[in-house]
This record gives sequence, structure tokens and C-alpha cells, in this order.
Amino acid sequence: MRYLLALLPLAMLSACGKPEARTELTIQRFFGACQAEFGTLADPAKAEGECGIITAMINQFEAANPDIKVVENTVFWPGYDQLTAQLAANGPPDLVTMHSSAIPDYEARGLLEPLDADLAAVGITPDQFTAAARVGVMVDGKTMGLPIDVWAPLWHVNMNLFRQAGLVANDQPVLPTSPEEFFAQAAQFQERTGKPYLVQISTKDSSGPMRIFYVWMLQQGAPLFRDARHANFDSPAARRALSFMKDLYQRGYSAKNLDYASAVSTFLKGEGGILVDGTWMVGKFDAFAHDATSPLYRGYAVRSFPFLFEGRRVALVDGHNWVMPTDAKRTAREREAAQRFLKYFAANDFQWARTGHFPAYKSIIESAQWQQLPHRGDIATITQIGEPLPKYVRRQSAIEYVVGEEVSAAYTGAKPVDRALTDMQRRANEILQSY
Amino acid sequence: MSLAAVHKPPRTAIVLVTLAAVFMLAPMLWVLILSFKDNTALMADTGSAFLPPWTIANYRSIVGEGQVFTWLMNSVIVSLAMTAGVLMLSSLAAYGFARLEFPGRKLLFVIVLFGLAIPEQAVIIGRHQMFSAASLHNTYAALVLPGLSMPFGVFLMTQYFRAIPKEIDEAALLDGASRLRIFWRILLPLTIPAQATLGIFTFFHAWNDYWWPLISATNRDMVTLTVGIAATQVNFAQSEGLGFLMAQAVFAGVPTLLVYLVFQKYIVRAVAGAAGQ
Repeated sequence: MRYLLALLPLAMLSACGKPEARTELTIQRFFGACQAEFGTLADPAKAEGECGIITAMINQFEAANPDIKVVENTVFWPGYDQLTAQLAANGPPDLVTMHSSAIPDYEARGLLEPLDADLAAVGITPDQFTAAARVGVMVDGKTMGLPIDVWAPLWHVNMNLFRQAGLVANDQPVLPTSPEEFFAQAAQFQERTGKPYLVQISTKDSSGPMRIFYVWMLQQGAPLFRDARHANFDSPAARRALSFMKDLYQRGYSAKNLDYASAVSTFLKGEGGILVDGTWMVGKFDAFAHDATSPLYRGYAVRSFPFLFEGRRVALVDGHNWVMPTDAKRTAREREAAQRFLKYFAANDFQWARTGHFPAYKSIIESAQWQQLPHRGDIATITQIGEPLPKYVRRQSAIEYVVGEEVSAAYTGAKPVDRALTDMQRRANEILQSY
Repeated sequence: MSLAAVHKPPRTAIVLVTLAAVFMLAPMLWVLILSFKDNTALMADTGSAFLPPWTIANYRSIVGEGQVFTWLMNSVIVSLAMTAGVLMLSSLAAYGFARLEFPGRKLLFVIVLFGLAIPEQAVIIGRHQMFSAASLHNTYAALVLPGLSMPFGVFLMTQYFRAIPKEIDEAALLDGASRLRIFWRILLPLTIPAQATLGIFTFFHAWNDYWWPLISATNRDMVTLTVGIAATQVNFAQSEGLGFLMAQAVFAGVPTLLVYLVFQKYIVRAVAGAAGQ
């Protein structure tokens, strides 16, 4: 017994020194944390919402890969401040969620690793991605990430109000095909329902107005940027887009002074015909359409932006991706674990697509399983005509803020259109020429 | 006239103070009510907060996040350490500026005061690089050390020390007390009201700090409560998770409320004392 006691400290010491058999894979993501609800769920099919599904997917991956320990770092959206700090401190995670629009900025500074070889090692090739997803992650022929979805701003339609307004044909919403038709239909809608045709964000959020402005510009066939150092906002196409936005706002066809939350709430209360919001709301609005107490009950449809301007049939898209930050300290085992993680996400992208985002893989888009999800068939063309922001332009998020701010100022009447566009051009160029 | 009648405040004042209190409390009550409501119901209409059913699900979600108490403890450690450090350093520096004669004293004091005019944003990159070079990120040291240099604390304490008659020091010196003894045993106890003010200010500043912990503590086990609970928010939380967002605000605010309740007497005295200076 005495010998055993003497050996005990030795045994404890050796246990302390025993290396961790599991490979540690550090991932960093946004989408929130929901441990209380989904922390133990390892079946994504039973989870709901972005947070629930990604949590369950990671749990399932860990359960299926007992030799890998996933260290999950959840960050406040979008988490780029933290990532930049981690890169500066030489301690980045192995995989990070990143928007397609943010990839060029990090790629140009050599902060991301191309993943072509890693993806090929687990049987993933870019030709499996949808056109929009592929454009989102490819930079100069290199695959800079694994796309998990494509998302787009959409027109969410209150069909009950549209019926009241006489704007439904064959059980489909009648949407305008030109600015003139837009005003005619908006006037008809307003006259018959007494409510604004459009519900859009006009305060405290620059991304909403920015996206709408970009869409109307792209539809005219106008590039958003002349080159990597110059924006194209002081142009006839930009003036036409912004004047149209200002007109519809000033003529009362849009609900006014709404931030993001109040815009969603206004739409859900049946106080407007169309809400401009993203793919992520499709599932939630569909749930309200099945709630007998909701003004959306049996009256919800969703469409891509109508083509109001002659030019191009195009939709503005962005996407979420897993990217691998550059890290000289990453071991071969960690890299192999990352490859398996990416393979898992590619194979299970259907589950992620249940969030409302478009899947990043052609095979899933073409599958009956995905097409049977509510409303997906009505908006699937976006994966073909979707166009992300140009890859040669860096600092997109800073520019988006400037654009959103100036657009809001113009259509709410705080600034004349011409001055807003001049200021937008000058401020965007300053950002583009500051690096 | 009775004493009670003399001290009885005028009715108008009571009404005005009550109205002001309601006005001040209304946003907090609104936050509290929202925190007990289902997120989906709030997404459709925040007015539903006034109608049943109410739920504690949002609080369950916060507590259910396995690391929330680790973050809470991190915040407690960082806030207390920073408060203790600031009180110690500010008092010592202030004593030197107020009582000791040394070359460059006035210039040094002016340089310290310059610190009041330099925003954190201006130094954050250099500071981050410095801590990175020292491999101190994701440590308590990184979270506490930058907060220790508080020019406001030095200024406040210096003014307080200057207000104490020098005759007290001189009497103690005549009795053979050392400078350190005079500081520790005689002057420091006289500065308790200022210490309380500075301590409360520093504690709340450290507790609410977000930016530096966000970029320094990137390891999930080292983040403070403000950063940790922000990271648990879903995208578009202001719409899709409003109740949860409000529950987080309440959860993060409760410790500071407790600090106030426990130290209420000292806080009131400190504020009254500071006002009387």
C-alpha cells in the first residue's frame, strides 16, 4: 500500500504530461450561441434557425469525429475586429466564417490561405459550387474558402394586402417591370389598402438602403466601381437609381423612419405590402404564414427584386464561407482536421440551406429535397443571376457604410440627390485610395 | 413649528422628483418587461410585451450558455483588480504631485493631464502590438494593465490631497513619522470619499469596457461578460432576439446594481463629499 501511495504522485504527473490524443480544431463563427436550446443536439434536421442548425452541425461533426476536438469561438457579428486582432497577434483560429464581400480585403493582404488543395483532398472542386457561390470565393483563380451559402436581398410580399389591392394574378403577386409601373401599382395599392406599398429601412442601418441602391444600379448595367481605386456613384445610372428611391419615398409609397426591427415588425403587423429583407427571413415569415393570428396567414410570397430598369437581369448576392486564416504554426494534423470539417459542411449543406439561404452546391439546388422547401422554387434563379460585389475592390464594408448613409440622406430629403452622390463618390474614393 | 414640519419637503418638489424618477426608470422597466417576453412575439410587435404570456426562457438561455459564469468571474476579477490598481497608483502619484517637491513635477503633472485628451482609439493599435509582442493577450494582465493608467484618477486624487492642510503632514513629520507612514496612516484615510468616487467610477468603467477585451481576449475562456454575452447574440438580434437582448442587458446590469445596493451608503457619501469639495 505504501508503495502504491508513493507511486500515486508519479502516476498523476505522468497523466498531466500525457498529450491530448484529440486534434484541436479552433473555429470562429458568428450566428450567435444557443447552447441552452441546442447545445446537446447532434441532429441538424431537428434544429431551427442559423444558430440552432450550425450548433447542431458542429455537434454532429464532433460526434462523428471523436479524434477531433472542436474549440468553438462564437463572436459578435461580423467578428472581423477580433479576427484582425488575432491575426495581428499571430493567433488566428483554424477556420473562420467570412462574407464573400470581405474575402478580397483579407486575401489581398495575404491573410488567407487558398484552399484548392485542401478541398481537392476531400473531393470538393469549385465546379460543384453554384455560379454565385463560386464567384463569391474565387479570387484570381484561387479558391479562398468553402462557400456554405449565398444570400440576397429579396422582396417579401404580403399577399393578403396584394389581393386587396388587386395585384394578384394566378395566385402570384403582380410586380412592376419599370419605374412607371412601380408608381402606378404603388398608387393602386395605397388607394385600395390605405397602406404603404413598400416597407424599407430608412434609419439606423446603412446596409438596407445600400443594397437597394446597388441593385437598381446593377440592373442598369452600370458597374458599381470604375476600377479598384474609383467608385462609379457620380454617374447617370446612380443618379437614376437614387432619384427613383427618393421619389417613391417622398411620394409616400414607402413606410417612413423605420430601422431594421421596426421595418420587420411593420411588415408582420400587415402595415405594408412589400418588405425588402434578406433570404434569412424566408423561414420565419413562412412560419407566420401558418399562424392563424398573423396578418400574413396564408398570405406570404417572396420574390427576387423585379427588373425595373432595362439593362441586365442581375441580383445582388453575398455569401457566408469558411476561410482559413494564414497561420505558420498550424500543424498537419490540424490542417487535416480542418479539411474533414470542410468536407462535413459541404456534404451537409442542405441542412444549412434550411435557414433560408441558398445552398452553395448545384447538386442541392437541383435536388427535390431543397426545391420542396417553402418558396425556394420562387427565388432559385438568383443562384444563376446573382452577382457579388467585385473582387478587385477592397474595403467593401467601409464603403457600404458610406453608401448607405448617403442614400438614406438623399431619399429622406436630408440632402439633394446630386450632393449625396458627389459626397458618396468622394468618400468612397478616399477609402479606396487610402491603402 | 415642529421639526417634522421644517424638514417636510414641499409637495411640488415631491411631485417633480417622482415624475423625474418615473421618467428615469421607464426605459429600465421597458427593458425588464421585454426580457420576459418571447422573441418571436416581440419580432411581430413589441407592444405584446404588456400582454401575457411571459416567459423566463431568455434568462434560461443566458444561464444555459455554459461559459456565462466564467465570463462573469472574469469581469469580476478584471474589475476588482483594475479598481484596486487604479486606487493604489492614483493615490501614490497624487500624493507625490500634491506633497513632494521634485524636479519636473509640474511638467510631469501636465504630461499626465494630457492623457485626459487622448482617446483610447488613438492608442489601441500600438497597445495591441505591445501586448502581442509580450505574448500577454488572453491573460488577466492584458485586461487589467491598460486600465491602470488613469489620468483622471491622478487628477482627482491630487486635487483632494491638495485640499488637505499641509499642517497635518508637518505635525506628523515633527513627530518622526516617515513620508510613507504619513501617506498611509494619516492622509490616505482622509481621502476615503475621493477614493470611493474613483473606485466606483473605475469599477463601472472596467465592468462596461467592451472594445479592449474584444480584441485582446479572443480566447473564449478569457472574455469578459460584455464581450461574451454580445457574442451569443444571433444576427439581427434587435429584431429576432429582442427579448434575449434585453435579458442580457438585465443580466449584465444586475451585478452593478448589487454593487450600488451594497455600497449605497458610501456612494451617496462619496458623491456628497465630492460635491462639497
